[in-house]
Amino acid sequence: MSVQPYEFTAPTVDEAIALGLQELGLQPEDVEVQVVRKGSRGLLGIGRTDAIVRLIPRHSPAPTSEEVAKPAEPEVSSAPSEQEAPEGPASDLSASQEELPAPGPAQAAPLSAEATPSPPPPLPSPQEIGQLARDLLTEMVDLMGIRARVELHFLDPDQGTEPVIRLNVVGDDLGMLIGRHGQTLASVQYLVRLMVNQRIHRWIPLIVDVNDYREERAERLQRLALRLAEQVVSSGRGVALEPMPAADRRQIHLALRDHPQVYTQSVGEGDRRKVQILPK
Amino acid sequence: MDKLVEFIARNLVEKPDQVRVRQRRYRERTVLHLRVAKEDTGRVIGKQGRVANAMRAVLHAAAQAQRRPDVELKIQ
Repeated sequence: MSVQPYEFTAPTVDEAIALGLQELGLQPEDVEVQVVRKGSRGLLGIGRTDAIVRLIPRHSPAPTSEEVAKPAEPEVSSAPSEQEAPEGPASDLSASQEELPAPGPAQAAPLSAEATPSPPPPLPSPQEIGQLARDLLTEMVDLMGIRARVELHFLDPDQGTEPVIRLNVVGDDLGMLIGRHGQTLASVQYLVRLMVNQRIHRWIPLIVDVNDYREERAERLQRLALRLAEQVVSSGRGVALEPMPAADRRQIHLALRDHPQVYTQSVGEGDRRKVQILPK
Repeated sequence: MDKLVEFIARNLVEKPDQVRVRQRRYRERTVLHLRVAKEDTGRVIGKQGRVANAMRAVLHAAAQAQRRPDVELKIQ
């Protein structure tokens, strides 16, 4: 299965960009957008094409303090609205100011030299970055109290582009690491990316998988898409899939993007967003 | 659990030596208080709380894996 982490397809350019940003975990200002192909609605649904965009992450998208909601101090009234937060208690910026042991005199120190290393170190090789990412994930999984090992692979999306680092966590009973619809897995991947990014100050394409869940799910979704497409063609009526996360919707769009008789579109907002497969 | 949060937080901030985690256990749940250097706050919260929520998801999974009560994360 080919992995193309940079290109995203959707009925319109805006939707494709939104999809890509959601999947990469980046904000609009973190990427440069290239429109590969503008979608066209066609005439009466005939000759319709999806839009394809390529997102090129700018370096170091890690959020800095200024970009984020200001409150370093408790701010009771306005917790930032969580657009697509997973279930769980609302973010707790307004934490209680209890007796924490004072974190030492360093607190008062101004930005010290350590924060800004003067000579830029040589760029680490993909192998070194992969090893670093693997070490970070291994320790994280270990501290979670989960017995598993982490495999490191490199995927070549296209000739001439940087290989994609793929970390696959292997072990028994790792369902909790995947979570509902892979949401926990998405969080793990996001954190590993941020940690690697913080270390090398550069965005790198990285995928975290658990027992090949992502790969298998992608294949399952593609088979499902093809099956439903057949159904749409024979019945002449469109179908809607159940709501699913961006990465899953993308698989459906990709599977059917060159289908001669159906097209796909996403409808709904947030958690309710789902793919429709419609006759052309 | 506190070690897990400490590890993640230290790897997200500019000043890892100022990361402090305090753990409180109650009967039904564990509460972790994470504290970082002021200028690092954004790095552990993220836009719309995205980083904090990712840490919460990981903590939740860890609690499940260890069959322990659920964990709450507070950032101050």
